[in-house]
Amino acid sequence: MIPRGHDVDSTVAEHILGDLGVAYAITDAGFNVVQESGSVDILWERPESCLGRCLIDCVPELVGCEDLLADVLAGDLPRFELAWANRETADGQTLYLTIVLLPYRHPSGRDSGLVYVVQDVSDMGLVDRQLAQSRNELRLLQEQLTRQNLELAAANAELRRLDKMKSAFVSVAAHELRTPLAPIRGYLEVLLDEDVGHLNAEQREYLEILRRSVQRLLVLTHNLLDATRIETGRVELVLRPADLPALIESVVAEHSAQVEARAQRLEVQLSPGLPPALCDEARAVQIVGNLLSNAVKYTPPGGRIDVTLAPAGEAGFLEVSVADV
Amino acid sequence: MLRAISKKICLLGDFAVGKTSLMRRFVYDLFSDKYISTIGVKVSRKTVAVPDAGGVVELTMMLWDLGGGDEFERVRPSYLRGAAGAVLVCDLTRPETLARLRDYAGELRAISPAASLVLAANKSDLADGRQLTPAQVESAAADLAAPYYLTSARTGEGVEGLFRHLARLLVA
Repeated sequence: MIPRGHDVDSTVAEHILGDLGVAYAITDAGFNVVQESGSVDILWERPESCLGRCLIDCVPELVGCEDLLADVLAGDLPRFELAWANRETADGQTLYLTIVLLPYRHPSGRDSGLVYVVQDVSDMGLVDRQLAQSRNELRLLQEQLTRQNLELAAANAELRRLDKMKSAFVSVAAHELRTPLAPIRGYLEVLLDEDVGHLNAEQREYLEILRRSVQRLLVLTHNLLDATRIETGRVELVLRPADLPALIESVVAEHSAQVEARAQRLEVQLSPGLPPALCDEARAVQIVGNLLSNAVKYTPPGGRIDVTLAPAGEAGFLEVSVADV
Repeated sequence: MLRAISKKICLLGDFAVGKTSLMRRFVYDLFSDKYISTIGVKVSRKTVAVPDAGGVVELTMMLWDLGGGDEFERVRPSYLRGAAGAVLVCDLTRPETLARLRDYAGELRAISPAASLVLAANKSDLADGRQLTPAQVESAAADLAAPYYLTSARTGEGVEGLFRHLARLLVA
């Protein structure tokens, strides 16, 4: 039989509170527990009744909060709430609790104390912890990335500084090397022209070897200077309309002896009717010459080298290609 | 004469600096490499004997391990009420975590002006990743008027000394 009146209300209230994961206790003015309701597992630090004991001794989260409890008791503070209090259960699980303290006034008005309310919000807590975990791990990665970017920027700056130093050194070295080559070449010409006396065949041969070596050294120093100019952005192009087919044919002609010596086949295909191309003629000769020289050098004897000039994919441009097949 | 007292102590600092690990090392002598974020507060206790002029004080340190970061800024004041002391924790591999300690100390002192502070520069075992020098930590600690310790929750270096120092400050 269902009890009537107040008993029915309290039974229903207990049921609702239990379903919501809420438990509560009431203390007297000295904070001693006089009533407890709901699961002792969430109410107290240890799963046992605290009736008759001081609330602060049973709830570690309230140690140090004595003044605060007194303020709530006196009505100076309407409530005190502690969110996300973690409690570890005997089986190692973490419970997340919301703790609330409210003033308690007995309906008779005689007694006063505190209402201590605890709600188990572990379901929400576990989700929140997972979110915090992901967020924090992401932040750690971001911090790491930021630090690594700074380190990379510093390393890059250092590399640029060293590269600049290297370019400056190469430029100075190339100039210093080139300076004595000019008089050497000059005196060689004088000797080879027999301005200071007759040369026999052997002497001429040796001097020719010297002249070729000096020429190679000059080309080398010239290339070094070019490289440093390119690195430091000091290359100035003189752009003029040029007859590219004629330019390519002249470069090919210069290399024909080498191609023949290696028994290679050189196929030149120049599209007919091409307009003059705006370019730096000297640099164009150098570029095509270098490409062709490399092709000759790295194509096996008997191989084929294709040189073509045709309109490029992009309108208004021409494309020169040197391919070793 | 034996005197028994309890004091509330908060562990404050940014997320992932090792607050929970320091607390676990001190209370349970345990360490785990796995990082698990703390949300809210976890209270643990450890009782230590502290010599006092009149004998020995049995001090129960109620250690409040608080979730780090800005997410708890709104509720942190309610956690800090009644704190007698705090351990300010930074990570030696993350310089910004040392700079942030000034904010945490300010928050605590606004609520508990008399609270004693100690500074833990944690993860001293990660020598390769260290981004803070002892001089930088010393300077920050001097600004906060707090003694400092280089600590490692992993090896235990400096942990006992840190908490014992705070215990002596709380009993004095």
